[in-house]
Amino acid sequence: MRLSWRRSRRRIPLAWYNLRHERSRLLVAIAGVAFAVLLMFMNLGFLGALINTTTNFYDQFNGDIFLVSPQSLEISSTKAFPRQRLYQAAGIEGVQRAMPLYAEYALWKNPETQISRAMFVYGFNPSDPVFLMPELNTDAARQALQQPNTTFIDRRSRPEFGPQTIGLETEADRRRITIVGQYALGGGFAADGTLIMSDQNFRRYFAPRPLTQINLGLLLLDPGTDAQRVQATLRSRLPADVNLYTKAEIVRKESQFWIQTTSIGFIFGLGVLVSFIVGTVIVYQILYTDIRDHLREYATLKAIGYSGGYLFKVVLHEAVILALLGYVPGLILALGLYALADNATAGTLPMQMTLFRVVFVLALTITMCSLSGLISVRKAVTTDPAAVFA
Amino acid sequence: MSAVPVQPVSPGAASPGAASPGAEISVQVQTLDYFFGQGDLRKQVLFNINLELHRGQIVIMTGPSGSGKTTLLTLIGALRSATTGSLRVLGQELVGLGNRQLVEVRRNIGFIFQAHNLFESLTAAQNVEMAVELTGNLRQKRQRATAILENVGLGDRVDYKPAALSGGQKQRVAIARALVNQPQLILADEPTAALDKQSGRDVVTLMQQLAQEQGCTILMVTHDNRILDVADRIINLVDGRLESDTNPQQFVEAHTVKSLDHNMFVM
Repeated sequence: MRLSWRRSRRRIPLAWYNLRHERSRLLVAIAGVAFAVLLMFMNLGFLGALINTTTNFYDQFNGDIFLVSPQSLEISSTKAFPRQRLYQAAGIEGVQRAMPLYAEYALWKNPETQISRAMFVYGFNPSDPVFLMPELNTDAARQALQQPNTTFIDRRSRPEFGPQTIGLETEADRRRITIVGQYALGGGFAADGTLIMSDQNFRRYFAPRPLTQINLGLLLLDPGTDAQRVQATLRSRLPADVNLYTKAEIVRKESQFWIQTTSIGFIFGLGVLVSFIVGTVIVYQILYTDIRDHLREYATLKAIGYSGGYLFKVVLHEAVILALLGYVPGLILALGLYALADNATAGTLPMQMTLFRVVFVLALTITMCSLSGLISVRKAVTTDPAAVFA
Repeated sequence: MSAVPVQPVSPGAASPGAASPGAEISVQVQTLDYFFGQGDLRKQVLFNINLELHRGQIVIMTGPSGSGKTTLLTLIGALRSATTGSLRVLGQELVGLGNRQLVEVRRNIGFIFQAHNLFESLTAAQNVEMAVELTGNLRQKRQRATAILENVGLGDRVDYKPAALSGGQKQRVAIARALVNQPQLILADEPTAALDKQSGRDVVTLMQQLAQEQGCTILMVTHDNRILDVADRIINLVDGRLESDTNPQQFVEAHTVKSLDHNMFVM
């Protein structure tokens, strides 16, 4: 009884009834919107993962302030600068420890397939707590790293690099190398795999490169020190051949590098745009067909006294219903594919759904469908009510 | 057919249009011209139409195709805007009205079309409710829709969708939709054209009966000779001009073969 009372107080949801009446067309429309939603999520997901991978290894870097050459673009394309700067920085009040980090690409030979592939190599002084990964912070690990021609290997390296068994021997840059440990770091878009070795071994593999030229300087501050104040002091003392960043700043700088100055950010941005357009066209097709099929009925509504504004609302209502109905399966599919992509890249491409993205794509979807509604609605609104008598 | 005697239109006392002097006038058309197209393609379709429809009358408009019947009907129905002459519908002058005002006028008119134009996605009751919603009376819309559907003999088909109704039933739903707001004027275009003889007869009888109950004026365009007898008055439009304005007896006499000179058929 209560239901019928409620039903009778409400206006007839013509938009919903019209959509529901053509089941198969509704399903096609939902599939189309879901597909567009999925494409947008995937593109944004890749873009987000890219941002994440350029930053997430910094989470494992034990530094409060980072010294980088002004000519460095991102971690894998750095310009080395004098180690001297690190010693100068160490003398500033509030700086507890100054640590160098070396980085280069080496050719790693897969011991099973004999195929060599570029591996990103970090070199550090094993007595410095440069990395936060627990595997590297044991006495045994430091001991192992100090042996000649040894390395730790990243578990998140692509499987093409071959087995990661401890004790395995292969070649890096035409020199024997033995795996003595594993860690999990991830190389982002710049590296398919990473190695971490001692500075002494780094010197061996990348001779004649001297250890006096470093790629990254990490400064640990005394607890409770204001990083920004130390940064300002450092800035006033150090020459212009180094830039100083807090962790948040270097993370933001590298994200911007990837998004703004490489084609990667552009590609995924374009991907989102194309998905948006595809979705708009699909929804337009559906709405247009629906309007065309109901033109006489809409003209009748106008003839009996409904205004063009009412028809406008009906079409827009249909558009929003399609947006919401397509969004849900799109989101579910996207979550599934995120997990799949995460698996396929062994966690090196961390596809994570964020609340921002959920809301952003929902807004894009509603905009997309409303836009289609606006394009197709003209035909309904301008219907000549006299046409029903023709 | 040139032998058919044609009564000249005279809005004077002799016309059946003025049969009940003093009766309320629902529609008053004066010196109305209407053109289609613009520029060189401009073509006049209605010439100097003068016509008065009195409250409670059932008026049938006939005439060959292309004679401008439907155009006149849509003008009276505020579906087109007239620019010349005078067109008063239910006391409101339509000439010079804007689109929005025309929409308002239409709400007081019931329209019945050749095709039923029902929403396939809505049930019979919901199709009728769409008209009730225009009045803003949401509380009683279901009740009113059901009541009028019972009136047209569809009490047991209230929750059926058009696909499950016969042609005659659909047309009756359309009539219910046109009548549910108790309009003072009903405009119908070939309401029986798509129906068989019995359904067509039922539909016009229904319209006649409801018109009497609610005292509304009906203007109906039809070619269907089977239903001419329901009319109080028959007007004939030829080439955009009112050719005759008679009562059904005169009309039938004038237009049936019986009254023609049998010599016509002698070779």
